[in-house]
Amino acid sequence: MRNYLKLICLFLLILVWAVAVAGCAARKSEPVKGEYFKPTQASIVNGEKVFMANCQKCHPGGEAGLGPSLNANPAPQFIKRFQMRHGLGVMPGFKPAEISKSDLRDISRYRRAWKHY
Amino acid sequence: MKKLFLNFLFAGFLLVSLSGCYRMRPSNGGAQIKELPQERKINPVDVLLPPGYSIELVARDFNFPTAVAFDDQNRLHVIEAGYSYGEVWTEPKLIRIDANGSRTVVATGTRNGPWTGVTFHQGNFYVAEGGTQEGGKILRITPSGTITTLVQNLPSLGDHHTNGPVVKEGYVYFGVGTATNSGVVGVDNADFGWLKREPRFHDIPCQDIVLSGLNFETPNVLADSSTKVMTGAFSAYNTTSYPGQVIKGSLPCSGAIMRVPVTGGQAELVAWGLRNPYGLSFSADGRLFVTENNYDVRGSRPVWGSGDVLWEIKEGLWYGWPDFSGGKPIRDDEEFKPPGSDPVKPLLQKYLNQPPQPAAVLGVHSSSSGFDFSRGTTFGFTGEAFVAQFGDMAPQVGKVMAPVGFKVVRVDVATGSIRDFVVNKGKRNGPASWHNSGGLERPVSVKFDPAGNALYIVDFGILKTSEKGSVPLPNSGVVWKITRK
Repeated sequence: MRNYLKLICLFLLILVWAVAVAGCAARKSEPVKGEYFKPTQASIVNGEKVFMANCQKCHPGGEAGLGPSLNANPAPQFIKRFQMRHGLGVMPGFKPAEISKSDLRDISRYRRAWKHY
Repeated sequence: MKKLFLNFLFAGFLLVSLSGCYRMRPSNGGAQIKELPQERKINPVDVLLPPGYSIELVARDFNFPTAVAFDDQNRLHVIEAGYSYGEVWTEPKLIRIDANGSRTVVATGTRNGPWTGVTFHQGNFYVAEGGTQEGGKILRITPSGTITTLVQNLPSLGDHHTNGPVVKEGYVYFGVGTATNSGVVGVDNADFGWLKREPRFHDIPCQDIVLSGLNFETPNVLADSSTKVMTGAFSAYNTTSYPGQVIKGSLPCSGAIMRVPVTGGQAELVAWGLRNPYGLSFSADGRLFVTENNYDVRGSRPVWGSGDVLWEIKEGLWYGWPDFSGGKPIRDDEEFKPPGSDPVKPLLQKYLNQPPQPAAVLGVHSSSSGFDFSRGTTFGFTGEAFVAQFGDMAPQVGKVMAPVGFKVVRVDVATGSIRDFVVNKGKRNGPASWHNSGGLERPVSVKFDPAGNALYIVDFGILKTSEKGSVPLPNSGVVWKITRK
């Protein structure tokens, strides 16, 4: 019983943390950073292009907008790719005809590069 | 037990992925401030730019400024709109700003604003008059202030106005926005204010269209709200449509780019199917680009998740409104279905052409407006489009989780890549009044000086929004200038 209580507490803690994280827009852009983002790898350049065509409108620069912030979202990339493919909550899923598996991976690479530049 | 723990952990990750349930959260738009400030704070230190650029204040205290132009002596001219959402009318004005900062009113318009754009060409100014009271007009104004109407009675008595203009090869190109959000007159148009003034006004197609025959039920806001009326697409309020109904196209029309000779004459069609084509600009190689303010989550046919678009305009094409967004069909697509509502159904039975793909897709509700291309190496980013984002009008246009827009972005039109260029300081993006700072409020247009060395930003000023409507703060407009150090 005590273990179950611990797990419920952990779950609630994660929930509170998730909502708190969601509240942060986690700004990331060239004026904010004071530095230019210059991707050199072709996969990152392609990832940015696909992101701009499909994701930017709801998450401008990865910040919150119509949708939540991606910059503040610490979930692993494989979960984010799962979400992009299948959707979650009000976010639509993108079929392989819209975003290919290879493009999904390039988006992940772009997002990692953007997050850490 | 270990398995249970992992399950909980996975659930936690999913929650993080969700980053807070959209439906549980209130709207958090940049203009949803508690009170309209008494006056606007202005402090360039509160604005952030990429390395190597600086910002300064050029002039302040304009009443709803929307655009600038330079005459043949490189003198800066500003237009004041004469109208703001919130149904506030003032006098539209063309104002010259001399080098010593003194201001001279060159011309004053009538109560038919907003004046949304101005350009200078071969000795005259050309102004787009929005047309809230008499319909849209394109005006020619001499430097001494004489106003001549080149074209009038443009159908912009509704949600959106007559915009532009730009001049090329003897023609003035301009945009006319649609009457409605997505093709159907409804309660939202009464809330805007125009439906009670113009109860028979509706969208006009530029070419013959065939309707699917959908009709939408609303309370009768023009008579007795306890009764219901049905309204069809491209039809006046309380007028139904039927499947297969043909609506004849005519000019001038709604949601279109049109042109008229600089000497005046009949409007000619360039392209249409654009919800609110606001900003127009020619690239250095002569291609016409246009910003389109896209669908809102309002009215009888709300559309969700529709990003503003930067289009390259090809003559003779239909760009998809009211059944496409940014080149994608909105019919039965969860990407455009408002949360908790039915999928969006098509209004047209067949399409005039497959809409093209956009040059770039900008933020949903960002109100991406006036823009200009960098032409010189002195400023940098040659060939990129600098786009002013007026910012969201949430909650009237739909819910947002954080302020959208309220900045200037640069767009590489070859790749569709968008990067912030001018933003406010702060933990989150938003207008200065939201931050209680002295930075940008609502950038509505940008313009490079004739040499291409400095970028001028026209900042409309403070415009508060709530469920009750919009409330602008008069005389809070500003012109900023960006230069490279």
